[in-house]
Amino acid sequence: MGAGLAGERVAVAAAVSGFDCLCLSIVPPRRSHSSAAQGGMQASLGNCAMGRGDSPDIHFADTVKGSDWGCDQEVARLFARTAPVAVREMAFWGIPWNRVVAGKGFYYKAGKKYEKIEPAERAGTITARDFGGTAKWRTCYTSDGTGHTLLYTMDSQVVRLGIEVHDRVEALALIHDGESCTGVVARCLKTGKLRVYLARATLIATGGYGKLYRESTNAVINWGDGAAIALDTGLVPIGNPEAVQFHPTGIVPTNILVTEGCRGDGGTLKDVDENRFMNIYEPEKQELASRDVVSRWMTHHIRTGKGVPGAYGAHLWLDIRHLGAEHIKTKLREVEEICKEFLDRDPVTQLIPVRPAQHYSMGGVRTDRDGAAYGLKGLFAAGEAACWDLHGFNRLGGNSLAETIVAGKIVGEKIVEFLRGGETDFKTSVVHRAVEKVRERIDAVTGSSGKENVYLLRAAMGDVLMDQVGIFRNEADLRDAVEKLQAIYERSKKIGLRSSSVHGANPELSACLRLPGMVRLALCIARGALMRTESRGAHAREDYPERNDRDWLKRTLAYWKDDRELLPVLDYELPSRVWEMPPGERGYGSIKIIASEDPGICSPRPETN
Amino acid sequence: MLADETIPQIRPVRAEAWLEFVQVLTGVALVAFMWMHMLLVASINVDLGGGRVLNLIARFFEASDMTQIGGPLIAAVMLVHFVVAARKLPLRVREQRAIWSHSLSFHHTDTWLWVVQAGTAFIILILGSIHMWTVLTTLPITAAKSAGRIQGRWWLGFYLVLLPMVELHVGIGVYRAGVKWGLIKRASRKASARFETKLALAMIAIGLVSLFTFLVLTKA
Amino acid sequence: MGRTLKFNIFRFNAEDPASVPHMDGFRLEETEAMTLFIALNRLREQQDPTLMFDFMCRAGICGSCAMMINGRPDLACHTKTKDLPAEITLLPMPVFKLIGDLSVDTGTWFRSMNEKVRSWIHTDNRFEPGEEEERMDNALAENIYELDRCIECGCCVAACGKAAMMPDKFMGATAFCRITRFMVDPRDERKSDEYFEVVGNEEGIFGCLGLLGCEDTCPKNLPLQDQLAMLRRKMGFSQIRHLFSGK
Repeated sequence: MGAGLAGERVAVAAAVSGFDCLCLSIVPPRRSHSSAAQGGMQASLGNCAMGRGDSPDIHFADTVKGSDWGCDQEVARLFARTAPVAVREMAFWGIPWNRVVAGKGFYYKAGKKYEKIEPAERAGTITARDFGGTAKWRTCYTSDGTGHTLLYTMDSQVVRLGIEVHDRVEALALIHDGESCTGVVARCLKTGKLRVYLARATLIATGGYGKLYRESTNAVINWGDGAAIALDTGLVPIGNPEAVQFHPTGIVPTNILVTEGCRGDGGTLKDVDENRFMNIYEPEKQELASRDVVSRWMTHHIRTGKGVPGAYGAHLWLDIRHLGAEHIKTKLREVEEICKEFLDRDPVTQLIPVRPAQHYSMGGVRTDRDGAAYGLKGLFAAGEAACWDLHGFNRLGGNSLAETIVAGKIVGEKIVEFLRGGETDFKTSVVHRAVEKVRERIDAVTGSSGKENVYLLRAAMGDVLMDQVGIFRNEADLRDAVEKLQAIYERSKKIGLRSSSVHGANPELSACLRLPGMVRLALCIARGALMRTESRGAHAREDYPERNDRDWLKRTLAYWKDDRELLPVLDYELPSRVWEMPPGERGYGSIKIIASEDPGICSPRPETN
Repeated sequence: MLADETIPQIRPVRAEAWLEFVQVLTGVALVAFMWMHMLLVASINVDLGGGRVLNLIARFFEASDMTQIGGPLIAAVMLVHFVVAARKLPLRVREQRAIWSHSLSFHHTDTWLWVVQAGTAFIILILGSIHMWTVLTTLPITAAKSAGRIQGRWWLGFYLVLLPMVELHVGIGVYRAGVKWGLIKRASRKASARFETKLALAMIAIGLVSLFTFLVLTKA
Repeated sequence: MGRTLKFNIFRFNAEDPASVPHMDGFRLEETEAMTLFIALNRLREQQDPTLMFDFMCRAGICGSCAMMINGRPDLACHTKTKDLPAEITLLPMPVFKLIGDLSVDTGTWFRSMNEKVRSWIHTDNRFEPGEEEERMDNALAENIYELDRCIECGCCVAACGKAAMMPDKFMGATAFCRITRFMVDPRDERKSDEYFEVVGNEEGIFGCLGLLGCEDTCPKNLPLQDQLAMLRRKMGFSQIRHLFSGK
């Protein structure tokens, strides 16, 4: 499920090993949201002058710090080690990565101009740019269209290998017998008909669930369908649902993302008086502190009255004018296009209105390090849909694209091992039951005499999450949010269609079928956030501002055991089996830390494999 | 399950490339001829309809047998150009309807230009053939004979139609050949289009002046 | 501001036996910074929930939302209503198979296009995980990227007079641009003749009439005019060379 980067990378791995592989996708594969990632993909190649001396060790350390020690360190290690190979493999398949140009060059940091010299012997190797939260320049890129070129190149391999893709197909339920997953029941979004897909291994690679929020940089299809149907089984948990990242620079009002590359290349944030402020809050990293930190300071700064008032609420300015027309028109061209197309502004001469918007779901279908989902055999997950747990409580810029490719490669190989390792029994009774259940859901909606409006309910849910489960969280708001979401969940059972006919792929019916799953996910987020009485990474509690390693160095696992329940069941586990890097200071976003008292965690241990 | 990745056996259909060249080369040849032809015709204006210069040039071409050989040759080139270019013309009613409704809804100059070019092609084929037949079967070419024709009623109308048709077809043809083969680039397209328009208008103007001279000043 | 927009929208649901193709009129108050993305969603949520159209990224990146806007193909998401007259006619793109209302099946079309032009790097090399990447000049990389920016929205095909006449065969500018992308890429080992096999015909570059509807509507402003000319020259001259080499 899902033909974005992660899904297609897994499909390629399976097909290369000789397995029949079929991708289901809500949209044609090249329209997947992966294409929207502008900035780049992290891999410690260490080719460019500013990336000199980089290694998987440093990448690993940056990732663990970024995650606020919430990630699985084995996974982070595996990831950092594989990323350079994955980048080179993509180059082999045709990515036009930007390359090192020998000689003198300039770069900007925090608004100041610096000089760098690229040695001739590295000329022509894959170069990198600076991104938030990293010790070295490590983010490989193709101008401003890295996600686009990655996705197109990956799909070119899918076409080459003859992997079938069924686009405009939406999975509505997993087929399982309580032990193994054997496929999905899906609905064709061209005809509205139901289809059954049987498979020995099923992969969820459906991306994140940003569209639960009112303001999100995500595409309109990112409503978390994969996570929702996994949650529906009652067996598969969502890991860390409360870990939701906000991006500092969504443009106002449409929340279209302008890349971190803007700040990486030296763009600055300014307030109503056109003064910088990140240099005051974060003297060391300034605009380049990790996303959660920048987003939080921006929100804080707006709250102190320094925001720029506007018709769509207060915002701040992003200033890239000093980078010059040439730089903006080549390296940041998509940014220029977005400003001109959607804002009627020219970033070469004008400021860009920005504010934080929901951006990334660190949480997702909880898997082990092989990508196998907890709870069901034959079910896997990869990419943003998964909680593989590379990102913990905050993802670094450039690590998401990298995760899709790297996890896709690793999980793909593990699925091949799984397929070679045993047989699967397909039970028609199980398939039949799954189809009946979906039919009942559809009949319940089409036959309903309810008066609730699906679009209004969805908007209500978005408001609750945005206003009360947003960047800053507190107990009162979260309690209220849970109650409101429960009410919305109840009301979602009384939706009545307003469509005159429901022939074909009626868009209102599609929305109705999705909504209950979305609200359940929203409840997992709100409940998870309420229970986590600490601040970690992107999860910032005003009433518990300290990071509490003593009580909360653990990962939330949210189960939805019973349809009739109104709350998820929460369970917890240690985020990592090994503690190669014991919890410490991140070096930015300074907060108080309550240290862990577990001796196994506090002292560094050698890497285990 | 790899897709068939063996390199396909190379069986290039070279005719397609050749026809494309034939189309553009015959087109260019005809354009060159039309411009020469216009010089010949316009020479009537040099001595204000006296026809001495025109007769002199015509006699030179006939004495060197260039008219007798070149005339039918040009006719043949025109026919070849038509046949080759007609591959691109909508000959079926379904296609004609499609391009017509496409042009109507899609307000786009270059698309209309092509429709004009395709339409003029048919008219030029018929009128041009009649003109050539008439001229070549009544050699030699003299100013008086041409004037006589033009001063006869129907022929004036005939040339008033043929002249703009030819110049439109030529002007658009040159522009499109330039665009298709890359002599006109994105950067130079606007300027080229303006130049082509001016050239076509100038040609039509010269043609009209010449027609006027034949009609009024030249003795039949 | 303050205009009331009048929308004329094509309606047809192939799955509904009672549905016949027709135009529906809608009225909507224009608001600040309104795009067709905002407008169409309001129409669906407030006036007619059966209205079918496609959006994905709503940021001009994914190419989902191309449609005929007052006769011209363009991305609905980046079309601002203030740039349009008060009466707006929306039609689905031609050539592509209609799914319903403004939604067309570009996925199937582009997959088959990509198969037809064999849109991937052809090489006999094997990937060696331990080796450094093959070096490449940065200018060349940027040149490849320039041609790789096509988002497969289908505007060039909908704007093409040739495709209107030959809807199920003509490849369209998107395919030609894709081929030139691989031609300039040294990693692709295909020879001219192999490209010729794919596009050297009436469905390919020699069917192109040079109408430049593609060049004038491409929402990504790809250099289609220059690329198509380059392809025509390369394909044409590759065959001339055969004449002189006697092969």
